[in-house]
Amino acid sequence: MSDQAAPHQGFASRYRNVLLGLLAVAIFFAAWQAVFLFVPFNPLFISKPTLILQALVSLLVSGDLLHDLAISAVPFVYGFSSAAVVGVALGIVMGWRPRVGYTLDPIMIMFYASPLVALAPLVIVFFGVGVSGKTIIIFLLSIFPFIFNAQAGVHAVDRLLINVVRSLGGSERDLYLKVIVPSVLPYIVAGARIAVGRGLIGVLVGEFFAASEGIGYAIARFGDLFALDKMFACILCIMIIAVALTEGIRLAERVAFPWRVGQ
Amino acid sequence: MTETRAIETDIGGPLESAAPADGLWHRLESTIFGAGGIVVLLAVWEALPRIVTLSAGTKLFFTTPSQIAETLWQMFATGSIWVPLSVSASGFALGLGLAVVAGLPLGVLIGRSPTLNAMLDPFITAFNATPRLVFLPLIMLWFGLGLWAKVIVVFIGALFPILINTYEGVRNADKTLINVVRSFGANEWDVARLVVVPNAMPYIVAGLRLAIGRAVLGVVVAEFFGSESGLGVMMVQAAGQYHVDKVFAGLIVFAGLSLIMTAAVQVLENRLTLWRPQRAGGE
Repeated sequence: MSDQAAPHQGFASRYRNVLLGLLAVAIFFAAWQAVFLFVPFNPLFISKPTLILQALVSLLVSGDLLHDLAISAVPFVYGFSSAAVVGVALGIVMGWRPRVGYTLDPIMIMFYASPLVALAPLVIVFFGVGVSGKTIIIFLLSIFPFIFNAQAGVHAVDRLLINVVRSLGGSERDLYLKVIVPSVLPYIVAGARIAVGRGLIGVLVGEFFAASEGIGYAIARFGDLFALDKMFACILCIMIIAVALTEGIRLAERVAFPWRVGQ
Repeated sequence: MTETRAIETDIGGPLESAAPADGLWHRLESTIFGAGGIVVLLAVWEALPRIVTLSAGTKLFFTTPSQIAETLWQMFATGSIWVPLSVSASGFALGLGLAVVAGLPLGVLIGRSPTLNAMLDPFITAFNATPRLVFLPLIMLWFGLGLWAKVIVVFIGALFPILINTYEGVRNADKTLINVVRSFGANEWDVARLVVVPNAMPYIVAGLRLAIGRAVLGVVVAEFFGSESGLGVMMVQAAGQYHVDKVFAGLIVFAGLSLIMTAAVQVLENRLTLWRPQRAGGE
């Protein structure tokens, strides 16, 4: 990276923000590491970046981390994908038929406003601590962004464009491919970005409550064991996954729907 | 305004064209259908155990709206709700208050300084994308099971919506106004006080509204996993003893708390932005 930076004029100014960000992250970790030169280090209370890195490597090498992640990924995929299918379908119907929308809107808003995480203990008691309980929690948490965004997307379809396609002899297929899908899809993808975060909360809630494996359980267990280096490694891992998922979707939005940039 | 609204709601039905004659029906339609939907939902829920005989196991997990209302009424009548509610509310209020105190100035600062923004951006992105729940075991380890762990969880949750919205609002401040104030000899503090913050107010209020939802969520999760008392603790215990009605009663109280707070923010917004239409009229 650094040897590339030298010859190019304007590299520094073009990537100024990225460089400043990287610099700040580097300073942060360096300061974290350095502070224990002056402050007594208590491994039961805090960890150091070097120790966290070691723990991360050892967890990766032993395969524990990947195992826990794989365990957690199953209910996440089930819950998230079913929330996407059901939520988008429901949202489109609610947007397309005004009366369905009128009827269901207050109920959906009611559910969305109430902290549904609060139902987690009930779901766990009812469905058990396995995949099904977690799937339902993730489904409940991540469905609402899909519903509301699909509905908003349908409302945003330009009626004029529909009429234009119709008057110019476009088929029903043209209508969907050229007008409806391009206008609804960006909303759904934006909803997915929000839903990913909520779905991850669902994974953690389910696993903190009652589980015997999974990444959330690993964090809680390492905390109980005062293995802070491993705990930080797992937290870091979740942070990376969360950022990768949300920023990945954001990037996909920018590439796939360039006309919506800036909204 | 009313016209665009009518067009907007009409988009949905390509086959339905609302008769323009009965305006009253058209205006009340959404309210009637909305209220009807809730009534039907409650009625079906209430009637379900009377129509279908539930197995003994399912009955343990089943409750009816009337039972929930009864429990809720009992909790208020006997006063048993006040102690857990006040514990939860103080955690909520302290965390949200701290988030406002920290988030507002920081948001203005990164909105005004591109360098600071570029440096803090990775941290804000990372912490905002990460479910705060992940830090809960760590926070419990550091702060124990008392009030402060809860305050910190609420704080982390509520900070980012406020911070990010303040930043957005500050970025959208009118450059001309800033230049005008500058030409009259204002320093950075005056610019923030006179132009930037008042202009960012709608954004800040929207952020505050988001923050309230997250703060309530924060209280719930903090109390579920690491607290000695509070409404969330009561709900977990109730779930463990199969008092499903009590769990729902708690849920309703939490939802009520967030609705009341949101309404309060709305009132605040109306008060704070009273000057807006006046200015528009004056110019």
